[in-house]
Amino acid sequence: MRQLINALLKYKNTLIYLGLLIISLIFLNQRSFYHRSIFSNAALAISSNLNLVGNNISNYLDLSESNEKLLAENIKLKALQLIRFNKQSPKNSTIDSFGFEVFGARIIKNSYNSARNYLIIDQGHEEGIELEMGVISSDGVIGIINQVTANFSSVISILHRDLKINAGFKKNGAYGSLSWEGDHPKRMKLDDVSIINPVMVGDTIVTGGMSDYFPHGIPIGKVFSFKKPKLEGYYDIEIELFSNLTQKKFVYVLKNKKKDQLNQLKNESR
Amino acid sequence: MNRDNLISIFQFFLLLFLQSFLLNNINLFGFINPNLYLLFIIVYRLDGNPTLLIILSFALGLMIDLLTQGSGGHTIATLTIAFLRPFIIKFSFGVNYDVPMGMIKGSLITQRLLYLLLIVVIQHLVLYSVIYFSYSNTITILKNTFFTSFFTFIIVYISLGLFKEK
Repeated sequence: MRQLINALLKYKNTLIYLGLLIISLIFLNQRSFYHRSIFSNAALAISSNLNLVGNNISNYLDLSESNEKLLAENIKLKALQLIRFNKQSPKNSTIDSFGFEVFGARIIKNSYNSARNYLIIDQGHEEGIELEMGVISSDGVIGIINQVTANFSSVISILHRDLKINAGFKKNGAYGSLSWEGDHPKRMKLDDVSIINPVMVGDTIVTGGMSDYFPHGIPIGKVFSFKKPKLEGYYDIEIELFSNLTQKKFVYVLKNKKKDQLNQLKNESR
Repeated sequence: MNRDNLISIFQFFLLLFLQSFLLNNINLFGFINPNLYLLFIIVYRLDGNPTLLIILSFALGLMIDLLTQGSGGHTIATLTIAFLRPFIIKFSFGVNYDVPMGMIKGSLITQRLLYLLLIVVIQHLVLYSVIYFSYSNTITILKNTFFTSFFTFIIVYISLGLFKEK
């Protein structure tokens, strides 16, 4: 104990210096957007590289299972190809005119148990990922890119309390904004749907197409329960998601090819 | 000792206000603002308590950052130079330095100049590195360090001469 105190006294200048340095770095982080973004980028690079190591190990262990899944998917694709050959009506034009470019990516970190969840994927700006691109999976919406480094990107999950997504009913197009309450990873809330629209339990909810991030019509979930408040003009609708965000491994990043035009239009009409 | 403390407190506030309200608005050639507040660290007694100096320098840098809407560069630079000061003293005056009143007398002019120069240049280097904080701005950092150090050095040297007269 005495030696410890002696050692502390001996290095007290260094310790005080380091302590005050940390305080001033926090101060710097609080005051300057530039430094904050540099710090958070560095933190993202470090944590994503560490996660990549762990993910590579678990991926290696999961190889046989992945192989089976890929085989199943190959069979399905083969069947589709055969059908198309049979029909002999190639429709490349639809693929070209589709306004979104698609990138595949692997999730290397996924969180779903805090109130504000993020994912990290293994594609960065070297592969063409940019800020504010939408991210979807095979059966639903995942989130929006919010930070990009050279080889990784971080995605705000739809399981994030501050994120709102434009979504609507498949049957009649009535739309509202979809948000997460922060409790259950398969339940979300659809607000701002006017009570003049009919709602049934089991109705399918799709993306609304009013945001720049996602094309119209990606299925998100179905109505789980709804309430009609007496005094307000809007429903309280609870949605059950189709996709299970706690089990995702691969995602697709969507690049809106016409975003420049949209932004230009928005700025001009302002 | 009491009188020394009073003088230190007086210097602290004088340099703080001088720096934040006058010297930071000079903008010579557009970017040069001499950092005269380094005088506080330079004239602090060479045998004074280094821990106290670290804390005081932190407070000084923080106040300057707050008063000039700085991001935090002055705090880190001033703190670092206060921490490094004992090493700089040993390096420039030799291990057996015995000059409690510092710059005033009893040391060679080259030793004094080396001491001044090291403190000024290292402080500016840290300051601009923190402010720009990017490899791609290395040239800007070095340019700013060089020119601002030069003017700070001149002003600090003149001020030291003024103190000596009294």
